[in-house]
Amino acid sequence: MLDILFIVLGKIVITVSKLFNLGSGSTWPGHIALSYNKNFIRNLLSKNKNLKIILIAGTNGKTTTGKLIRTILEKNNRKVLQNEEGANLLNGIASSFIKYADISGKIRCNYAIFEIDENTFPLILENINPEIIILLNLFRDQLDRYGEVNIVSNKWQSALKKIKPNVSLILNSDDPKIAYLGNKIKNKVEYFGVKGTEQSIDHASDSTYCPKCGNKLSYKSITFSHLGDWTCTSCGLEKPKPDIESFDGYPLPGLYNRYNTHAAILTAKTLGVPTDKIAKALKDFKPAFGRQEIIKYKGKKIQIFLSKNPASFNQSLATINDLKAKNLLVILNDRIPDGRDVSWIWDIDFENNLKNFKSITVSGDRVYDMALRLKYAGKNSLMSNEILSDAIQDSIDHIPENETLYILPTYSAMLDLRKILTGKAIL
Amino acid sequence: MKQNLKIGWLYPDLMSTYGDRGNIIVLKKRCEWRGIKTEILNLNEGFDEKLLNNFDILFMGGAQDAQQQIVTKDFTSAKISALKKKVEDGTPGLYVCGAYQFLGKYYKEPNGNKIKGLGILDLYTEYPGERAVRLIGNIALKTPDGNILVGFENHGGRTFIGKKLQPFGQVMKGFGNNGNQPAMQDGKTLQAGDKTEGVIYKNSIGTYLHGPILPKNPEIADWLIEKALERKYEKKIKLEKLDNSLSQKAKMAILSRITS
Repeated sequence: MLDILFIVLGKIVITVSKLFNLGSGSTWPGHIALSYNKNFIRNLLSKNKNLKIILIAGTNGKTTTGKLIRTILEKNNRKVLQNEEGANLLNGIASSFIKYADISGKIRCNYAIFEIDENTFPLILENINPEIIILLNLFRDQLDRYGEVNIVSNKWQSALKKIKPNVSLILNSDDPKIAYLGNKIKNKVEYFGVKGTEQSIDHASDSTYCPKCGNKLSYKSITFSHLGDWTCTSCGLEKPKPDIESFDGYPLPGLYNRYNTHAAILTAKTLGVPTDKIAKALKDFKPAFGRQEIIKYKGKKIQIFLSKNPASFNQSLATINDLKAKNLLVILNDRIPDGRDVSWIWDIDFENNLKNFKSITVSGDRVYDMALRLKYAGKNSLMSNEILSDAIQDSIDHIPENETLYILPTYSAMLDLRKILTGKAIL
Repeated sequence: MKQNLKIGWLYPDLMSTYGDRGNIIVLKKRCEWRGIKTEILNLNEGFDEKLLNNFDILFMGGAQDAQQQIVTKDFTSAKISALKKKVEDGTPGLYVCGAYQFLGKYYKEPNGNKIKGLGILDLYTEYPGERAVRLIGNIALKTPDGNILVGFENHGGRTFIGKKLQPFGQVMKGFGNNGNQPAMQDGKTLQAGDKTEGVIYKNSIGTYLHGPILPKNPEIADWLIEKALERKYEKKIKLEKLDNSLSQKAKMAILSRITS
């Protein structure tokens, strides 16, 4: 009975927050409901046994993969609910249920897609029995908050021991630690990979050691960072054979988006969407907030590439170089969602990726740290401005009408940026 | 004749988290900008300890636990003696976080398990129980020669340095070696919450400062370079001054934030 009260109350909070442009109220309602009833999610789900839940975890690509799956399902007439941008802890999940449930607690959707915070993943599994779990990758990210990559993968391994036998796993075959999670499990496991070509390992590389025996892994090919065709010469563990490793008609550029697309396709197939319908649906895909999103601002074209850790930053740089980018704005913040430690910028491979830019501007809370990083990478002619709106103005003033300004922001910087560009807050 | 320095990077694959590579970039560039040639060699698992003798500067960064174990295994007693000799003969070295702890006698894990260190310096590190918080955040400290340094620390272990050793600096803001943790009552160590950070012994620096340390604190990079040249060319060296205005701005931004 009390649960209904929280649903009604929560819906009011959501409406009020939107009305006053306070963000979309994506975590409070769930937070309140859970603090009064820790079984809130379990109770609600027991009333919605037909709702199939898809969980997505991993350092990079959760939001895009979620949006890809959502697009495929919706274009094929399924009703889908998804947690809001960044609302990826238990309270965010509860809030999404509140938003979509009617006052009797019924959720009229076929599927729920939730992106899950790395650390919260085990706790979510205690509250939710999913249909599918997608594990994308594990890169070095926010060591002050998440700890080291090994710690996260160990937590995931023990959490997966408790899942029900009917849960399907969709795992990245090219990320040794992720692939190994499917090694001893009795559940149905499918793997996605990407055909690789490059031979060198990035500086940001993390799990080049065997997840089973700890020996150094050998790679036949590498797509980027530590992802590739790996094998352990000591214990014989090797990359599982991928169920998908290429696709005709990627909706977004960038090698990293091939992984996201393959994961989404495997998921849709598992849920019974035919291959031709998947391909057709992806043709209409629109990127998520800040993930290659294009915005027109004061007559200039701006494209945002969220870049939140060395692996995603390197991939953004590689992708915009492929797109022949000439103008760059980098925004570095060090708030809690960004990670308070900015050491990671020294793991970005700027040295080999800056030569094609005509203009580079830096901004954000840690503007001078970024300027210093670029100076040591050989770029002295920078514009730097602590005030983001001024930095955006400086950047667009310098570009001709037909050129694009590419912006690489950290997470909180992306939110600030979008607020300036669109006049609205997302969160 | 053009001066040159050989820099040895110990276990770049295994002991490199938190942008440790930035320290190497800074050493290399600051030499390059002054016309000093550098040669950087990666010393990976299984390297021959005889190589150590060739280096003018040594650097070692932090590691994840699993990686640290591989390095521990790789340090044969011959390798330990070779590194000890380098530290004792005054080879400039920078040992950050995990590497700093590793130079000491032992590291006690939260579960009480003691992992042996290299025993090169008289210090030890303890993680005081499962429930102890990690010491995380921006840090500012003052070195004995008056330099103010900034960085970011992130460590569970509390380090206690022997009475005869000199700390790298005094903490102005942040946790440093041991935060407010009580010391072991063995009478041999400095007291709890001693507000010290790191250690400096001969020309070796052990410190918890990430950030990485050298970009925003170029005076430390230059100190390492200067000591290395003096030792190698056996004469007094005065390094050419470089423009440090950008690193100064980055340092001031953090200082004004954490001391306000």
